[in-house]
Amino acid sequence: MAVIQKILFVVLMLGLLSLTFYSLTYLENVYLEVNNTFIRFGVTLIFTFTLLVITRYLLLIFFSMLNLIKRTAALEHTEGREEKISIIVPCYNEESVIIPSLSSLLKQTYKYVEIIVIDDGSKDRTYELARGFEFDNGFHSLRVINIPNGGKSRALNHGIREAHGSLICCVDADSRLNNNALSLLVRHFEDKQIAAVAGSVSVVNRDSFLTRLQALEYIEGLNMARNGQAFLKLVNIIPGPLGMFRKSAMAEVGYYDHDTFAEDCDLTLKLIDHNYKIDFEPDAISYTEVPENLLDLLKQRYRWTRGILQSIHKHRESLWHLRQKPGMSFVMWYMLFESVLWPFIQLWGDLFMIYLAIEFGASDLMLFWWLMFTVLDIAGALYCLLVTKEDLSLAKYAIVYRLFFISVINISKVFATIEEWFGIEMSWGKLERKGRI
Amino acid sequence: MNLLSFMSFLILGITILTMIFGVLAYFLYKTRERQQQKAEESYDEVLANSKDEFLFFNRES
Repeated sequence: MAVIQKILFVVLMLGLLSLTFYSLTYLENVYLEVNNTFIRFGVTLIFTFTLLVITRYLLLIFFSMLNLIKRTAALEHTEGREEKISIIVPCYNEESVIIPSLSSLLKQTYKYVEIIVIDDGSKDRTYELARGFEFDNGFHSLRVINIPNGGKSRALNHGIREAHGSLICCVDADSRLNNNALSLLVRHFEDKQIAAVAGSVSVVNRDSFLTRLQALEYIEGLNMARNGQAFLKLVNIIPGPLGMFRKSAMAEVGYYDHDTFAEDCDLTLKLIDHNYKIDFEPDAISYTEVPENLLDLLKQRYRWTRGILQSIHKHRESLWHLRQKPGMSFVMWYMLFESVLWPFIQLWGDLFMIYLAIEFGASDLMLFWWLMFTVLDIAGALYCLLVTKEDLSLAKYAIVYRLFFISVINISKVFATIEEWFGIEMSWGKLERKGRI
Repeated sequence: MNLLSFMSFLILGITILTMIFGVLAYFLYKTRERQQQKAEESYDEVLANSKDEFLFFNRES
């Protein structure tokens, strides 16, 4: 069976190459045949964008493969570490998920752990429920601290100040970890240059069309990207559901700041800016709930987009530090491409293709463009699903992934970018949890 | 109509509909947020925003 899947992957990659060639030749013909500056500009833009996106995908898959090989070889020689880990769990109105979340933390195979739950002024029963878990045996403990509501980054910083461990593990209260997550993460800190390790995030509520699409996105879009970035030790975002940090490195960069809506992205950028390495551990998994309806999903993506843009804006000077800080500069350009250029050009590309189809009857181009990206998505999805041993049936969702899901998300990202540009006020916007973890 | 033309037409149609849907969904989300924000405003916030205007509250039945 595995051989058939590998053959299918190779066939898809060959299909992608021929479709790319066909689409680009089609674009070239349009460029040569139509003597119109606007159309020529549009064709050039789409041509460049297509090449950039395909290069990005192929490089990420290639780096991801290299990282997998490197990781397999390196882990054979890695011994267990015995450093104290402080797990910080910030929570605000998490009564529906706090019990399974804390239960999963107590089941960790790595036992030299203190768990600090920071209740950020919840208005529900989160504090009482968490208090029920409190214990301390000197080696392993759990305590709950109640503070007035001040936001996630303040809650995290409060927890870190109270922590005694040399490693800090930040976990979202709406997530559940696999039992050996901490043991897997801690191994990376053998390397003194590693300041943080990102965990993998997996969708737990895969019971609707929208949540299955998000499950595919987390596997292909987020985890594959992190796995590729990990080859360069330049993972650009430590996800909120699971990340481990070296406390001394966090102190050096001033912990979490409160001036962006993506405190995790901001902190990661600060660490990269201080020449630290950031790694990824694909087998340390945090199972999390994703939004179950479209409006909640847009709310989440709106906050992510504006938060990332705020982080990029905050560190914008690093864009030009190509010689002094090549790693940081590369990460910043990568993020700028993914967060701003990609959604804008994808949207513009769709509008331009519609215009070409209506004005010149060139609707074939749109079909080939869509086919090319869909084959790319299916190949990427298949590779990721095989590597992560995930449910292969998710690969079929790649057919509508770009046509529907990514298009709708990109429209929201474009509006969020425009609003961020004009400085329109925004609030954190907490998502309502269903307690499915 | 051959298969290629049919598929092209289908993709074109779906793309146009998705774009319209995406824009509508975004404005729907913004409207919902605005309504939620209003509903969650406290007495002090309403008072601070009203400046010198008179405030009228509806009695809940």
